[in-house]
Amino acid sequence: MTTIELAPEHKIGLTLSNPVMPAAGCFGLGMEYRNLIEVETIGAIVVGPVTAAPRQGAAPPRTLAIPGGVLLHTGLANPGVTAVVRRYGRALAHCTVPVIVHVAGTSPDEAGSCCQRLAAIEAIAGIELGLPDTPGGLDRLGPRSGLSDFLDDAVAIIQAARVAASQPLIVRLPMVYADLLCEAAVESGADALTVAAPPRGTAWHDPTRQFITGRLYGPFVLPLAVRILHRVAGLVPVPLIGCGGIHSAEDSRAFLRAGAVAVQVSGAIWHDPACLIRVARDLAPEASSD
Amino acid sequence: MVQIVALVTDIEERGPFVRVSLAAPDLYPALTPGRFVLADLGDYLRKPLFPASLETPPPGHGEFDVLVLPSHPAAALQPGASVDLIGPLGQGFRIPETTRRLLLVASIAHLPALLALTNQEPGLSTALLLSVASVAELYPVQLLPPALEVHVVTADGSTGHCGSILDLFPDLVRWADCACIAADPAIYPALARIVREVRIGSTHHFAQALIAPPMVCGVGACYGCAVPVRGGIKRACTDGPVFDLLELR
Repeated sequence: MTTIELAPEHKIGLTLSNPVMPAAGCFGLGMEYRNLIEVETIGAIVVGPVTAAPRQGAAPPRTLAIPGGVLLHTGLANPGVTAVVRRYGRALAHCTVPVIVHVAGTSPDEAGSCCQRLAAIEAIAGIELGLPDTPGGLDRLGPRSGLSDFLDDAVAIIQAARVAASQPLIVRLPMVYADLLCEAAVESGADALTVAAPPRGTAWHDPTRQFITGRLYGPFVLPLAVRILHRVAGLVPVPLIGCGGIHSAEDSRAFLRAGAVAVQVSGAIWHDPACLIRVARDLAPEASSD
Repeated sequence: MVQIVALVTDIEERGPFVRVSLAAPDLYPALTPGRFVLADLGDYLRKPLFPASLETPPPGHGEFDVLVLPSHPAAALQPGASVDLIGPLGQGFRIPETTRRLLLVASIAHLPALLALTNQEPGLSTALLLSVASVAELYPVQLLPPALEVHVVTADGSTGHCGSILDLFPDLVRWADCACIAADPAIYPALARIVREVRIGSTHHFAQALIAPPMVCGVGACYGCAVPVRGGIKRACTDGPVFDLLELR
């Protein structure tokens, strides 16, 4: 059987038997879809995001339907890495495919602390590190921080995660800055890159008479993400995971043709959980023949 | 919880609503009042549908009704059409076995979520406090069980009591030993104040309120349907959509 190696330079590696997995933020903590999705069919599961401490997340409203998709702002709601390990560790240990935990790298300390907590857990096959994606949006840097401050901060977060994590490290790049960050991410120790995090948008929420800013999900994200992955593929030699707007096997093939070795299905899982399995089954033969 | 394709078996106008009958034998047995299914009706976000009729024991064909407003995308379905459903989802209304006097409180747009509770159980008296803008929007009372005690409140006084749910709620909540509410959540703080005033020391879940914000995944994976409660935030799709009224913030 043809396999996909996401961390060829890592001492343990991260081998998938299928190039398809769910995207972070879309699959909960691994248990939520257990009655709807047979994970044996897919390459891995990606759970989280998790942070060092529990987070209640953003105040509602968090969800806004937009034409052809949805805008979602959760504010990294999660029970914290310790609770995740305590509540879900045993179940994840029985998962029949590799488990990748998405760590929300809001700061070097947070990334290092989470990765350190997860390092000793054998059931976790890989860490995917999320990065801040809004220069000026970080209190730590201040509202007028520039792009270089933002990039320096992102590199510091990756380095902190790399030092603390024993597992292969996948860095999920912000869509807008993926090409600016990809080389620094690899130099800082990323074994693979996910391209890219869902883009952000702002829309008017009429019932509460306010703007909501959040991540965008829908088929319209696909060409944006394929474009940036194609560019990143020309810049770095590490395995790339395509993510954004996939709703079919054909969508996934666009990423594979652009240079990805694996893909993550995001919002399509919410709309149609069976989609994840369909894409994985459709792509399995192609992955073998490639 | 399953993802299945249901068959639309019938459609008809029913007062201000359209009744859509769905045959879904695989998910019917686990449906209870207040639980819901997420239906793929063409939009990116699935739409929650609440059963308006449930039989015990479940019918073999697994057919249940949902009532939607004419503007709802489900109203455009045709008999024979297929609808992809995920469900049953969430936590429904919990009626203690000791309940003898059940109070249902609804605004007309939210009434369908409570209709499955109007089926009369032996030894149970049920009252419905229903709010509508005017008599023209009223759900046909003859379609409700004859033993159901109905109190109508209209904003314009065209029938029943002229005013608000809040006017009649105190007396009825004194009478009840369980209250189930489906209305605009903006009115919930006022209802909670009344419950605290007239039912001092009421038991947990004495008053239960339904909140259904837009739901993205329905299974608790996306954290998109946050509901503020005392001590934090819960998810409408898995912790709700029925909550203890006094727990809501």
